[in-house]
Amino acid sequence: MARILVTVPPLVGHLNPALAVAAELQKQGHVLAWAVHRGPLGDRLPAGAQVYDLDRADGFDFTAAAPQARGLESVRLFFEDFAMPLARASLAPLEAAARAFQPDVMVVDHQMPAGALVARKLGLPWVSLVTTTASILKMSAILDTQSSATLDGWVQAQFHDLQSGYLDPCDMVPRPEFSPWDVIVFSVEALLGRHHECIPANYRFVGPTRGGGRRDVEFPWQWLDHSRPRLLVTLGTVSRDRDTRFFEVIMEAVSGMDLQAVLVAPDSLAGQAPANVLVQPFIPQLDVLDYVNGVICHAGHNTVCEALVRGLPLIVAPIRDDQPVIARQVIDAGAGIFLRHGKATPAMARKAITELLENPLLRQNAQRLAPELQGARGEAGAAAIITALVARDHLLGRVG
Amino acid sequence: MSTQDNNILDVVITTIRHTINEDWIVDFPIDAGTRFNSDLEIESIEFVKIADAIQRHFGARLDIVGWLSGKNIHELIALSVGELADHVSAALREAA
Repeated sequence: MARILVTVPPLVGHLNPALAVAAELQKQGHVLAWAVHRGPLGDRLPAGAQVYDLDRADGFDFTAAAPQARGLESVRLFFEDFAMPLARASLAPLEAAARAFQPDVMVVDHQMPAGALVARKLGLPWVSLVTTTASILKMSAILDTQSSATLDGWVQAQFHDLQSGYLDPCDMVPRPEFSPWDVIVFSVEALLGRHHECIPANYRFVGPTRGGGRRDVEFPWQWLDHSRPRLLVTLGTVSRDRDTRFFEVIMEAVSGMDLQAVLVAPDSLAGQAPANVLVQPFIPQLDVLDYVNGVICHAGHNTVCEALVRGLPLIVAPIRDDQPVIARQVIDAGAGIFLRHGKATPAMARKAITELLENPLLRQNAQRLAPELQGARGEAGAAAIITALVARDHLLGRVG
Repeated sequence: MSTQDNNILDVVITTIRHTINEDWIVDFPIDAGTRFNSDLEIESIEFVKIADAIQRHFGARLDIVGWLSGKNIHELIALSVGELADHVSAALREAA
């Protein structure tokens, strides 16, 4: 049985797919350990998990990633104010964790590049987990310009600075976060489309995980009225508390419509919710998705794939980071409608919701993608890739 | 600013309103200082459509996308309606 060290950034959307993969590996009898920030993630890890805590006495401010920024500015701030400082602060404790645990293989989220650098420095085999396909596209493709050497150059400069002083210059690569072995992507190629150029790497598309390893969350199932259309409205775990305007617009839009909406939003909004809206700060999202007819969301990668695997059409209101790119994938696939997050009015939202429920093409296109997503093996596929890498390495005599 | 430059700014603003074509933008104040990312929440695909429409209006080789691709990330984030209008003015003068 293999010893496997998993590391992810302190972001729930990155932890959840890793939890499912880890649960699958654990089920097969492998020995797992986590190198994570116990503060923000601790209560979401499996009971009894072996944890190497990356929290440091000098403290890293996880809220520093400018919650109000949007679009390309949020991408810049994510790198410069979050991912890179996080990586620098994590290098030493992560290297200590890897030396102490002595893993056969490391499983490294692509936005936890400290893990990639440690694996490269110690010569450990490792795989990347990619929780959003926006990350595997060249920045020029994201901007739809003919080329943007300046943007790709900016990303590479970030990684160059990070590697300098930690890795031997001869071990430095332009994009160190992608494993030279396997890069596991929690999506399918059909959704990615063919318009965009990918950064070269050995991509293994396994589709979305099925949610194994997540904590249990209560939900008032009796509230759902199965005689009316039902919608899930969520802005994800990062933007949930950003502001309440969007939720208020949606509540006003659906007030009086013959449907039900579950809003994943702060409790403080419950007081102003119309009778056909249920406000819940947390939900068992995968279970709730089984009971809705459509989704209004921020185009977070996990939520989009979790909706499409069920053949559900979406209204996408992207805000930041990778979301505009993922929203485009949904729209290009014909499975969704765009809604401008900060500008949407109740009238615009009502029109979009009516189309979401009444335009059969949206559902047909979502259902066209579903079989490929369902056929992808999710966490089982990811676990098979990881264990195959360990076996390959044993054959080569580098481990054990 | 010349009358012609003012006219170009007006064309750019009108083109933005027509291309986005949503109820909020009809009376949303747009001037030279309005920023595409933070003020208008315009995505790159929409920017390309706006650029194409401006190109069609003037019929000259404006190469807006080429101009954009030379910009660094800070310039792209801060890109304003006035900067686009200035580029169009300069390109038209060059073409004249």
